[in-house]
Amino acid sequence: MRELIVAYQHRVAGFTYAITGRSDSVEDLVQVVFVKMARSIARLKAPEQFEPWLFRLARNTCIDHLRRQKLRRIFVPFAPEHENVPEPPGSVDTEELDALRHALAQLRPKDRALLALVQEGRSHTEIAESFSTSVAAVKARLHRAREQLRQHYQSDEN
Amino acid sequence: MKTENKAWALLREHAAAQIAPGFPERVLQAARAAASPLFIAHFAMCAATAVACLAAVALYHARISGDEDTQSIAGWGEIASQASDFEQGL
Repeated sequence: MRELIVAYQHRVAGFTYAITGRSDSVEDLVQVVFVKMARSIARLKAPEQFEPWLFRLARNTCIDHLRRQKLRRIFVPFAPEHENVPEPPGSVDTEELDALRHALAQLRPKDRALLALVQEGRSHTEIAESFSTSVAAVKARLHRAREQLRQHYQSDEN
Repeated sequence: MKTENKAWALLREHAAAQIAPGFPERVLQAARAAASPLFIAHFAMCAATAVACLAAVALYHARISGDEDTQSIAGWGEIASQASDFEQGL
């Protein structure tokens, strides 16, 4: 189990950060993902499906986290100064990363997850299975998400 | 495109840097704690408290509404007898 965590911790961290956009919640979320993994890995029938399964777990954890955050804001409205708290100073130290982070923030969480899955080297077929949709639909959504990301990324850079 | 790829690489690097040393040990400890009998007992205790609270509220509500029903029936009985007395008086 420890070896699995060591092998995947950085990749899951990158994936989580791409979806949530907050570096202060990365470690907590990655921990939740691996605790879920540890508790349910025995139920994974096909070991070759481990990687897609782990990233599906990570994606669902991140989307649940964002959903809970949104719900919390409905019931406990934040003061304006507590909304969209910026990343701690010095945490994002390059312009490229800052531009990508801002561009990703303009997309829907599911589109961010889609782009992050592609960055993780997942095939269209695997993504289609994770999203319970067709390969054609994945390709179309991916094309749209990439276009949106490119537009926001370029406008942020300029 | 090239800068975008570079940015993705930086993003992964930045995220990886957020994982503090000793992370696997902390995860394993948290996983063990989540599956421990103490955690289950704590969860069972919370569930039992919630059930007891709900039962108390339901009992209190049943009692209050029972008292109100008795008072209302007595009130209506009085009104009915006054109405029948009035009818007889006519």
